[in-house]
Amino acid sequence: MKIVAVMPAYHEAARIGTAVSHVRVCVDEVIVVDDGSRDDTAEVAREAGARVLRHAVNRGQGAALRTGTDAALKRGATIIVHVDADGQHDPSFLPALIAPIQRGEAAIVFGSRFLGVRSEGMPFARRVLLFAARQFSGLVLGISRRMTDPQSGMRALSRDAAMQLRWTQDRMAHCSEILRMVSQSSLAWTEVPVQIRYTADSLAKGQKATDALKIVWQLLVRSIS
Amino acid sequence: MIIQFALSAVFLGALVWTWRRFRQQALRRLEAFVWSALWLAAGVAVWWPNVTTRLANLVGIGRGSDFVLYIAVTVLTVLVLHLHVAHDKLSREFTELVRHDALKDVDRS
Repeated sequence: MKIVAVMPAYHEAARIGTAVSHVRVCVDEVIVVDDGSRDDTAEVAREAGARVLRHAVNRGQGAALRTGTDAALKRGATIIVHVDADGQHDPSFLPALIAPIQRGEAAIVFGSRFLGVRSEGMPFARRVLLFAARQFSGLVLGISRRMTDPQSGMRALSRDAAMQLRWTQDRMAHCSEILRMVSQSSLAWTEVPVQIRYTADSLAKGQKATDALKIVWQLLVRSIS
Repeated sequence: MIIQFALSAVFLGALVWTWRRFRQQALRRLEAFVWSALWLAAGVAVWWPNVTTRLANLVGIGRGSDFVLYIAVTVLTVLVLHLHVAHDKLSREFTELVRHDALKDVDRS
């Protein structure tokens, strides 16, 4: 089994080195997709041991994940894991994330922040927003109510699932799009608890409350296009 | 009176521009006719506002200017949505191009 981690990165020169080093020990290969950064993200990631692909222009996290996933498939990956480049995702949870696929119990595994392991430093407002997003996802988007984390970015996919799920949302809405596709497919899925470490840096760069409206708008436009 | 002449000049300019674009093959004949009808209708509404009032009364609206406003808001909303959809499609194609470039050197070894 070849396990490949895909890490989309945009202006992450300060954090990508550590993140790649930590993830590398858990997988066979790390692919970093530098999403049009103008800093040294690509060089730092390469020095840390990642294979680096580069988007000439910033296209968003969803687009970078798709590119990295296609590259992983091309390189013969049997399991692909999506991990953030800012070090928020704790790599010690990767074995548990991959295990259900290795055991043949699931084709896709989502890391959830709401299954008992408390995320470090998650602001109260973020918790409320994610609760609202979960209700919206279930009621409007048709995402399974059993899915506990509507914006989970840490996930593992079997090769078949990665080939079958062709998400097209380039930016933040890809999380919801993937959950929706999985809900409507016959793919076996499960969730495992993961811990996310929120820091001042990652919160400053991460999603804002207003991004929820952008995600809804992106999904709406795509639904009629 | 000044606004009537000013708006008429704008609509006339738009009419000329429409047919110039048709000659440049940027517009199809049907599209050019639809646009021309729109500019002419706008001209009629400017010089004979009673026409819009009569149309407004036909559909249960009191004033002609309200009728024009409702139509304009509806058409503009549809156009904005159409632009967003077109932009979204273009954006997806652009992403495919960027992705193709990023993946061209990925080997299987």
